[in-house]
Parts: sequence; structure tokens; C-alpha cells
Amino acid sequence: MVGFIILAVLSFASAVGVVAARAPVHSALYLIGNVITLAVFYLLLNAEFMAAAQVIVYAGAIMVLFLFVVTLLTAGKEERERPESLAGQRALSGFLAIAAGVLLAGVAVRYSAGPSVTRFSSGYGSLAAMGRLLWGPGFDYLVVVALMLLTAALAVLVLNRSADDPRPAAPAAPAVKEDPS
Amino acid sequence: MITAVPAGWVVGLAAALFAVGTVGVLVRKNPLIMFMSAEMMWNAAALAFIGYAAQWHQMQGQLMAFLIIATAAGEVGIGLALIVWVYHRRPRLDVDDVSEMKG
Repeated sequence: MVGFIILAVLSFASAVGVVAARAPVHSALYLIGNVITLAVFYLLLNAEFMAAAQVIVYAGAIMVLFLFVVTLLTAGKEERERPESLAGQRALSGFLAIAAGVLLAGVAVRYSAGPSVTRFSSGYGSLAAMGRLLWGPGFDYLVVVALMLLTAALAVLVLNRSADDPRPAAPAAPAVKEDPS
Repeated sequence: MITAVPAGWVVGLAAALFAVGTVGVLVRKNPLIMFMSAEMMWNAAALAFIGYAAQWHQMQGQLMAFLIIATAAGEVGIGLALIVWVYHRRPRLDVDDVSEMKG
């Protein structure tokens, strides 16, 4: 229980840091901390494969992508947020979101189920068990994930093609310079 | 070990993280920070799935968390490409600058 509380405090504090940081780089660093504490949670909840996937995909791939974009878009810019155009929108939305969170957390803790009577199957959460699940009953999900990632990669390619000025379909033939002599 | 902790507490923490992410999306105006807060909301949902998976000793919850991580990876690729596409010609990173589509 003590470990749970320490991890929960770390995770919550880094989450607040993401929202409260002024510069996007600081938000990204706090988010890395949040992701890593969640990976430790997964490990303690007997989800070894998911902990590894969380660290590799989130802390490894997604956050590096975020840091690239942050440096690309905010390099050398020091900007403050402008005053609110809708009066009171921030305070109201923040209050409503916090109220919804308190309500959800209260319901989750209040109606917490009792201890389960079954036992963990052997190898629960390991790479082998996850592979058997994904290639057995969950094969449809695996195919859908593959199609989705392929579609996302294609979409990013298309977006990046049209981002800059439209390039000519074929490169123009290099003009041969006449020798002035 | 953490298995002594009831699943309700883990899911309660997930709800708290989800709420913090919601606050970030609603209150901040920097599109990158809003996007990171949305990522945090995805993570909170995955934590809830894994918490319940450990509670009921079923691995289907981990399968759903796997789907969430894969979806988040695809979403981040497309979302960041869109953000770069919209903002690399603009002087400010502010979602109020792209309000032409408001209804």
C-alpha cells in the first residue's frame, strides 16, 4: 500500500506538471515521468509485457516525436498566453473537469469490487501469454491494429507531401548553361 | 505487493489522471500541451483496463490496453503532422489562431 501511495503521488504530481508547465518542453519531460510511473504500475499489476510496451512506445517513440515537434515549432520563441476571449471559460471548465474527476474517482473507490476468487493463470501478463492471446482469440485485434498503423503511416506521408509548396511531378531538366566563350 | 491494493484505488487514480488531462485540454491553449494532456487521458484509460485485468485475473484487459497504446501511436503521428502543417507558418502556437472553422 505504501508503494502504491508513493507511485500514485509521483504519477499525479507529474500529471499536474504536464498541465501547469509554461513551456511545452517542460510538459514533455513531465509526461515522460508520468509514463514511466505508469509503466511501474503495470509491472506491479502483473502486466510485464504492457510495461515494456509502454516504455518502448511511449517514452521511446511518442515522446521523441513530441520533442522533435516541440523543438521545430517553438525554437527561440518566448510567448505568453493571451488573455481569455471568453470570460470565465477557463475557471468554469477547470472546475467542471475536476468535479467530474472527483465524482469518477469516488465512484471507483466506493464501488470497488472485493478480492477475486480465481487465481492468476501461470505466466499471466508475460510476453508468451500475450503472444498466445494475440495470435489466438485476439487475432482480429492484431489485424485491425496493423491496418490502423499502416493507414496512419500513409496519412502522415500524404500530409507531409501537401504541407509544403506542391512540388512538380517531375523535376525540371537542369538548364544547360551556355559557355560564354 | 500491489495486488493487496483493491482495484478501486487503481481505477480511482486513473480517474484522477483522466481529470487532470481533461483540465489540460480545456484550460491550456498551446496545441502541443493540449495534445500531451490528451495522451495522458489515453494512458489513464489504459491504467484502468490493466487495473481491472489484474482484479479479475483476465488478460483481455491487457489486450485492450495494447489496443490503446497502438491507437495512441497512430494518433500521435497524425496529430503531430497536422499540428506542424497548421502552425509552421504561424507566428504563435495558440489554438485561438485557427478558429476559422468555428460554427
